[in-house]
Amino acid sequence: MFLRLVKGALFRQKKKMLMIAFTIALGASLATAMLNVMLDVGDKVNRELKTYGANINVLPKEVSLLDDLYGVSDGSGVLSESELGSLKTIFWAFNIVDFAPYLNVKARISGRDGEFRLVGTWFANHLELPTGEALDTGINNMKSWWSVEGEWPAGDDASAAMAGSIAAERAGLAVGDVISVSTGGGNGESVSLTIKGIFAAGSDEDERIYVPLSVAQGMAKRPGAVSSVEVSALTTPDNELSRRAAQNPKSLSVKEWETWYCTAYVSAICYQIEEVLTDSVAKPIRQVAESEGAILEKTQLLMLLITILSLAGAALGISNLVTAGVMERSREIGLLKALGAGNAPVSRLILTEILITGVVGGVAGYFAGLGFAQIIGQTVFGAAINIKPMVIPLVAILVFLVTLVGSVPSIRLLLSLRPAEVLHGR
Amino acid sequence: MTKRSMYIKMITSSLIRRRSRMFVALLAVAVGATILSGLVTVYYDIPRQMRQEFRSYGANFILVSASGETISEESAAAALGCIPEDKVVGTAPYRYETVKINEQPFMAAGTELSEARKASPYWFVSGEWPERDGSVLIGQEVADVIKLLPGNSFTMTGTDLAGESFSRDFRVSGIVQTGGTEEAFIFMSLADFASVIGENGAFDVVECSISASQAELETIAARVTEIAEDVAPRLVTRVTRSEGAVLTKLQALVFLVTAVVLLLTMICVATTMMAVVAERRKEIGLKKALGAPDKSIITEFLGEGLLLGCLGGALGSALGFGFAQIIGVNVFSRAVQFPAALAPATLIASVLITGLACLIPVRSATYVDPAIVLRGE
Repeated sequence: MFLRLVKGALFRQKKKMLMIAFTIALGASLATAMLNVMLDVGDKVNRELKTYGANINVLPKEVSLLDDLYGVSDGSGVLSESELGSLKTIFWAFNIVDFAPYLNVKARISGRDGEFRLVGTWFANHLELPTGEALDTGINNMKSWWSVEGEWPAGDDASAAMAGSIAAERAGLAVGDVISVSTGGGNGESVSLTIKGIFAAGSDEDERIYVPLSVAQGMAKRPGAVSSVEVSALTTPDNELSRRAAQNPKSLSVKEWETWYCTAYVSAICYQIEEVLTDSVAKPIRQVAESEGAILEKTQLLMLLITILSLAGAALGISNLVTAGVMERSREIGLLKALGAGNAPVSRLILTEILITGVVGGVAGYFAGLGFAQIIGQTVFGAAINIKPMVIPLVAILVFLVTLVGSVPSIRLLLSLRPAEVLHGR
Repeated sequence: MTKRSMYIKMITSSLIRRRSRMFVALLAVAVGATILSGLVTVYYDIPRQMRQEFRSYGANFILVSASGETISEESAAAALGCIPEDKVVGTAPYRYETVKINEQPFMAAGTELSEARKASPYWFVSGEWPERDGSVLIGQEVADVIKLLPGNSFTMTGTDLAGESFSRDFRVSGIVQTGGTEEAFIFMSLADFASVIGENGAFDVVECSISASQAELETIAARVTEIAEDVAPRLVTRVTRSEGAVLTKLQALVFLVTAVVLLLTMICVATTMMAVVAERRKEIGLKKALGAPDKSIITEFLGEGLLLGCLGGALGSALGFGFAQIIGVNVFSRAVQFPAALAPATLIASVLITGLACLIPVRSATYVDPAIVLRGE
């Protein structure tokens, strides 16, 4: 009998119930979309911030101060090119987005005055990893702010070069020129290179000429050597623990150490890089690392507040309509009561109806919300939003609570009505 | 009783008589208006607020000499005068000279330390920023090479501008970590720098951190070139470009979210209004039975809807402003600017939406046959 009553109410008032279900679906889809976007926004913005370039710089342990200041390499301390693939084998390998090695050489260009600073690097390198995976990395991904005239050299082109705008001006180079470079003494063999592109970076990189790593290694007579590596990694904003760890990882207790090691703090990733590259020192580039943290935190907080507002809006919208829907059934309830129904069965009847509507609306809304989230993800970030399973219980609880809160006060009001008055139509 | 006062009386008494029901509708409209005004405020204020946050990336505008020499203090001041004052976060002039400690060469930089701190907020200083004369900041690499800790003293030697050698003791007040070339420098105040190297009234570089978009920076650069000829302004493209890219994405995100939220709240408001009107079919039937034409029924319901929309819109503008302030204070620790045109815009939007939402069910209700409705079928 109870089931028949519920079924009757649902089907008799199809239109009304459909409208309530529709509103619940709207609210649920809003909640689903916002929660999914909010939970994923950190990851997405983090990837956007990678346009600021590398946030970790890896140097050999014995690097001399002279190299950085005056560009003099005295041969002490190098990293090995063959080890670089193991960067993708550390605990946080998945968070390492890109990396590029550098080797500096001073060279002369035949027919031009003065010495130029040549930097050997990977423009775009295809790497087969020991784990069986493959990886494409190099500076064409990492220096996204360079404005390039001409084109980026292909990865396997061993005679390509890119000149910084200042260096190109000094040597009178244009895209397509073929130059012949040799090391200072004049006794080194010369290598001929084609200028594929000229870039403006707005920093001291403009004074350099970038060449394939193998060319620089050959000229410096240091095969397989690398003088520094820039790494671009996705990191978690620093906190008290990571700052302490950055000073001295040994000062942490075992538990703290584990938390630190298994969180993608920039200091933890640096530590793990030092573990896999022999005689290396990995340093966070604070300009990038610190700012990323600050901006990430702000964005996440902003999205959290917007989500709370839209959840509140959705909740109010749903409970409004549920209240209105229950209120107008005063006549029906008056009749039920006149026929001798107690308060408890009447409340149970109405609640069941509303909850069934809520479940139908909520499920429809959840899937519509996934669609909304993907639209936002594709339009803004050009990437799919990760669907988090934890959103399902959150939305379910929200819909349940809101329909309950929306219907309880009106049910109480209806129960307090006298059947005679209601049926009389007053 | 004139026709108009009767009309007003009907509307107000209908609102008051059905207090609780109308309150529900009002709440729906107000929530919609709050979301509209709050999110739009946030959307417009995001570039301004986030730009401040992006300043933690340090200098985005650099003044160097056009001739490759140094910038005189006058032309530096003239160039800095081109930058709107409310956009400046910090401007730090630098002078560089090679000095010796323990007969090893190092680079010393003289700057206004308080400005350098504002322009490069990412510097991580262990110890303290120098407060007194004779205290300096040293880079981590310098500290490693000559084994200095905050509080230690060292002797700096070298030759000044006049070609005479000097020797002076300094105290290390802090050690700078940046992960970049700054770690190889010794930073001191301009006064200290002048006391050992000598005064020449010129700077090598002026680093500026300006809270402005790339286009605005380019205009400033053009003005600087006009006013101070020997100064070459340079944009740090890595910072300005990336900032532009990320900001555009963020604004697009908030825009889309606002659009989705707005669409859904609009539908919510509309369904609520429909429910409110639909349950008054009996009333409409009675009015028609008494001889009211369709037009007067529509205007009456529309009047109610517009009144609701007005009240809800006004309430929503105020609440939305409050919400935007909460976001500003909690997220960015700053007050937000509320675009003045937004309050009337919110009001108009909510009146339109509620009016439209009323119209549809009222119109269908006017087709009803009064006899059938009044009999209760």
